[in-house]
Amino acid sequence: MEQLNILAQVQSLVGDSFLGFLRIAAPVVAVLLLLRCILPLLTFRREPEIWAWLNMPDGSQIPITHWENVIGRSKSCDVTIDFSTVSRNHAVLTRYDDGSWTITDAGSKDGVFVNGKKVQISAVHPRSRISIGGVEMHLQPISEKQEIKQAKLRTKAASGWDSVANLMLLSVLQVFMVLGFLLSGTEESMIPIIQGFGGILLCQWLLYVFYAIIHRSSFEVETIAFFLCTMGMAAIATVKPTEAIKQLIALVLGILVFLLIGWSLRDLERAKKFRYLAVVAGVGFLVVTLLFGTEYYGAKNWLIIGGMSLQPSELSKVCFVFAGASTMDRIMQKRNIIMFISYSVVICGLLALMNDFGTALIFFCSFLIIAYLRSGSVGTVALAITALGFAGVIALRIAPHALSRFATWRHIWEDPFNAGYQQTQALMCIASGGLFGLGPGRGMLQRIFAADSDIAFATISEEWGLIMALLTVLCIVALACFVLRTAPVARSSFYSIGACTAAGVLVVQTMLNCLGTLDVLPFTGVPFPLLSNGGTSMIGAWGLLAFVKAADTRQNASFAVRLKGRDDA
Amino acid sequence: MNRVTKRTWLMGLFVLILVGGMTFFMMDYWANAGQWISAPGSPHVNNRSNIGVGTVTDRSGTVFLDIGAERTYSPSAATRKSTLHWVGDRQGKISAGAVSHYAGAMVGFDPVNGIYNAGEAGGITTLTLSERVQNTALEALAGRKGTVAVYNYKTGEILCAVTAPTFDPDDVPDIEGDTSGTYEGVYLNRFLQSAYVPGSIFKVVTTAAALECVPGIQDESFRCTGKMEYGEGENTATVTCEHVHGTLSLKSALANSCNCAFAQIAERVGKDNMVKYVKQFQVVSPLSFDGVTTVKGKYDLTGAGTVSFAWSCIGQHTDLINPARFMTFMGAIAGGGVAVEPYVVSQVTCGEEVTYEAETTVTEQVMSPETARILKGYMRSNVKNVYGDWNFNGLNVCAKTGTSQLGGEEISNAMFAGFVEDEQYPLAFICVVENAGYGATVGVPIMSKVLATCTSVMNNG
Repeated sequence: MEQLNILAQVQSLVGDSFLGFLRIAAPVVAVLLLLRCILPLLTFRREPEIWAWLNMPDGSQIPITHWENVIGRSKSCDVTIDFSTVSRNHAVLTRYDDGSWTITDAGSKDGVFVNGKKVQISAVHPRSRISIGGVEMHLQPISEKQEIKQAKLRTKAASGWDSVANLMLLSVLQVFMVLGFLLSGTEESMIPIIQGFGGILLCQWLLYVFYAIIHRSSFEVETIAFFLCTMGMAAIATVKPTEAIKQLIALVLGILVFLLIGWSLRDLERAKKFRYLAVVAGVGFLVVTLLFGTEYYGAKNWLIIGGMSLQPSELSKVCFVFAGASTMDRIMQKRNIIMFISYSVVICGLLALMNDFGTALIFFCSFLIIAYLRSGSVGTVALAITALGFAGVIALRIAPHALSRFATWRHIWEDPFNAGYQQTQALMCIASGGLFGLGPGRGMLQRIFAADSDIAFATISEEWGLIMALLTVLCIVALACFVLRTAPVARSSFYSIGACTAAGVLVVQTMLNCLGTLDVLPFTGVPFPLLSNGGTSMIGAWGLLAFVKAADTRQNASFAVRLKGRDDA
Repeated sequence: MNRVTKRTWLMGLFVLILVGGMTFFMMDYWANAGQWISAPGSPHVNNRSNIGVGTVTDRSGTVFLDIGAERTYSPSAATRKSTLHWVGDRQGKISAGAVSHYAGAMVGFDPVNGIYNAGEAGGITTLTLSERVQNTALEALAGRKGTVAVYNYKTGEILCAVTAPTFDPDDVPDIEGDTSGTYEGVYLNRFLQSAYVPGSIFKVVTTAAALECVPGIQDESFRCTGKMEYGEGENTATVTCEHVHGTLSLKSALANSCNCAFAQIAERVGKDNMVKYVKQFQVVSPLSFDGVTTVKGKYDLTGAGTVSFAWSCIGQHTDLINPARFMTFMGAIAGGGVAVEPYVVSQVTCGEEVTYEAETTVTEQVMSPETARILKGYMRSNVKNVYGDWNFNGLNVCAKTGTSQLGGEEISNAMFAGFVEDEQYPLAFICVVENAGYGATVGVPIMSKVLATCTSVMNNG
C-alpha cells in the first residue's frame, strides 16, 4: 500500500515533466540511431570484384566478376561470345567457396567440352581447355594474394565501436521507454514491462557479444530489427503487458532461427540441402494448418496447440523464399523451373483452401519477385502463366470472401461505429498523438481490437508520435534499399533471389499492415514484421532477415559469409 | 548473374508503393487530421457521438454544459430543455454536431502536437445563442411542436433556435414507452433536420420570381372570385381562397395571401422560371454551417399539371422547406439580395488561446437588389396593414404568414417568416408551429415575444 502511494506521488511529481522530455528525446534518439544504422547500409562501395579471367584464343582477357556467370551469345549474358555456333545461353561458370570452379552446360545445342570431352558439369582448373561452340578458352582464377588484396579493398563493415555506440543508443531509448511506462502505468503491469524491454536489451547485447566472438562486426541490420522489436514491445506494453514475456520468447526463438538459417546459407552446398527441408516444411505448415487449424473471420490460418495460438503460414513464407532461391546453373535448367512452378501451384492451392487473403497476397508478391528474377529465356512464359493463375485464384476464390471486409475501403468514415470502427479509431488516435505522441500508456487505442498487431502503427503513433511510427516504416524501407544495393553484387543468385524476395515479403507486409490501418489500401490484418504482437510472425520475420543478411558481402559483415583464410566454422 | 541482378528493381517497386502510400497518408494527415479529431467517436475528445470535453456557454457566457466526467448541464430546467438539441444528451441520441465539429479546436488540436496541450478540462465553446431568447421561445411554443429561430442577418449569429418537443436531460422522461405522441421526433433538431410544407410563406418566393422575370407585373391586376377552376367535367381541379378577394395587385395579393391571384401569377411566371428561381434563391438547397448540414427542401414539378403547378407556387403541392434555410432566404431579402449565412458557434478557446473565431460568410447575389427592395416593401406592408405593427413594439417587421395544409384531418401548421428592417436589430426569423392552425394567430404572438427578448438582449450587450 505504501509502495503504491509512493509510486502515485512520484508519478504525479515527475511524470509530466519527464513526459515532456520523453516525447522529444525518444524521436531524437531514434532518428540518430537509425541514421547511424542506415547510412552505412546505403553508402558502402560496391564496385565489381574480379574473381578470374577468361583467356580467349585471340589473346584477349574477359574479366569474370561474379561467382556465377552465364556464358552465351545473348547480350544479357555475363560473358557474351558473339559467335553463331555459341547458343544464346550456353554454359554457367561457377566459383565455389574454396576457390574451385565448375562449368555446367545450360542446355546448349552443341554442348560444352572440357579438355576435348563433352561434359554436363565438370571441374575447371587453370590448365583446363574449355570449348564452347568451337571457341576455345582458358580460365585463369586470381591468385591467393590477389584475393587477399581484393578483400582488403572491400568496404569494411562498421567497426565494432560503431556497433557498440548504436547499441548504447538503442539501450538508452529502451531505458527511456521503460521509465515512461513506469511513470504512467499501473503497478501490476510494471514487472512484465520491465521484463519485456529488459529481455530485448539483453538479447541485443548477447547477440552482439556472439558476433564479436566470431569476428563479425556489422550489426546495423540486427540493430534495426531490435529497434522494431522495441517499438513492438512499446505497443504490447500499453495494450497487453501480460504478453510481453510470450513475445520475448518468440524473439529468442526468432534469433535462433535467424542464426540457423544464416549458418545454413553460409555454405551454398549446405544451403541447397536445407532448401529441400524448407520445401517440405513450407507445404507441411500449410497442410497442418488446414487439417487442424481454426477459422477466424472466414480465414483458416490459426493453429491452437496447448493454449498457444500459432500462425504456421508465417513460417511458410520463409520456406517459400528458401524454395524460390536458386543458383544460376539450376536456373538455366528447365527441370528446375518446372519444379518451382509445381511447388508454387501446390502452395497456391493450399492457400485457396485456407481463404486467407492477406497471406495469399504476400505469397503472390513473393512469387512475382522470384519468378521475375528467375525467368531467363527459358521459363519466362511458363512463369508468367503461373503468375496469372495465382492471381486468378486470389481474385476468384479468395477475394470474394474478403470482399465484405473491403467494402469499407476509402469509406470508413461512413460507418465509424461498425465497419470502419478500427480504422477511424486508429486515424483519430494518430491525430490525437500528433508528431510527438501523448506519452506511454496515455493512449486510447489500446481498447481497440488488434491494437498491438493489425493497427500497431496507430498505437505507436498515438503514444510515441507519428515520427516514431514513420521511423518503423523507414526501417523496413532501409532494409529493402540495402538489399537493392547488395543483391546485384551478391556472390550467387541464390543469395540475390533470397534477399530480394525476403525483403519483398517484409515490404509487402509492412505495406498491407500500415497502409491498411491508414485506409490507403484495403484492411487485411497482416502483421507488421518484427513489430506486431505475434510469436510466429516474429520468428518468421527473423528468418527472412537471415536472407537479407546473407547477401551482405562487406568484409567481416555477415556471419552468413565465410571469412577468407580463417577457419571459423 | 547480370540477368538476375538487373531484375531486382521489381522489389524496388513494392518499396515505392509503400513510400508513395505513406506520403499520401502524410498529406491526408496534414489536411484532414483536424477533422478526424472531431469526428464522432473520437476517443480523446468525444463521448461516442457527442463531445466529451470542455464547456459550452451562451453568447454572454452563461454555461449550458460543462462536460467533465459528470456532464453537468445548466442549473435551470428551462435552459436545459431549450438548449438540449445544441449541446446533446448524455446517451448520444441527440448529437450536438455543431459543438462536436469544434472538438479539435476545443482541445487545442494542431497537427504537430496533436491534443497533447489540451490538459484535462478542455476549452470553452461560446455559442451565438442567447439563453434568455431560447427560453422565451420555448415558453412561447407552449408545449406545441415546432421550431422558432432568429438570426442576425448582418453578422450571421443565430440568437435563437429552439426545437420542440424536447426534454430535460437531468430528468429524462420515458420516451420509448410514450404512446401519447408527446415525444414524437424528440431527438430531431427540427430547425436543422425537418422539412415542412411551407404554405403561404412560399408566396414570397413566387413573388420574388415574378418580380425578377415578369416585366411590369407590379402594374398588373388579378381577379379573385374565391375559386379558380381548371379542366373540364370530372377532371375539374380548383384553386380556392377562403374569401372572395376581388381585384388585386401583386402587392395586395401577397398581403391578402390570395391563392387565386397567385395561381394567375404562377401562370405569368411559368414552370421553367419557377424552377430556375427556386434554384437561384437556394430556397430548397441544404445549408451547411459549423459542420452541420440541414436537410434539403423540395420543389418538384415532375408530372405537375397546371393546377398542381399553381399549388406549388402557393407552397403546397409537394413543396417542402427547411426552417434554417428559409430563415436564411429571409436574410437574403433583408440583405438586398445577398444572404449572410447563419452560424451558431462564435468562438472556441483552449486555455488562453483563441482556437476558433467565427467569420461572417456571405452568399452570392441570389436576387437583384431591386427585387429585394420591392419585396421588402410588400412584406413591410403585410405587417403594417394586415398582421398589425402593434405586435412588434415599434420594430419595422417585414414578414409573411402561412398556414400549410397537411392533407387529411390534420390541423395545419402555422408558419411565420420574415425580418426586422432596422440597422440596430437586423434580425431575420422563422417560426413553425406544428398542427397549430393559422400562421397569423399563432406565429405572430410568438415572434412578438421572441423579437422583444432579442432586442432586449441586444441592448444589454
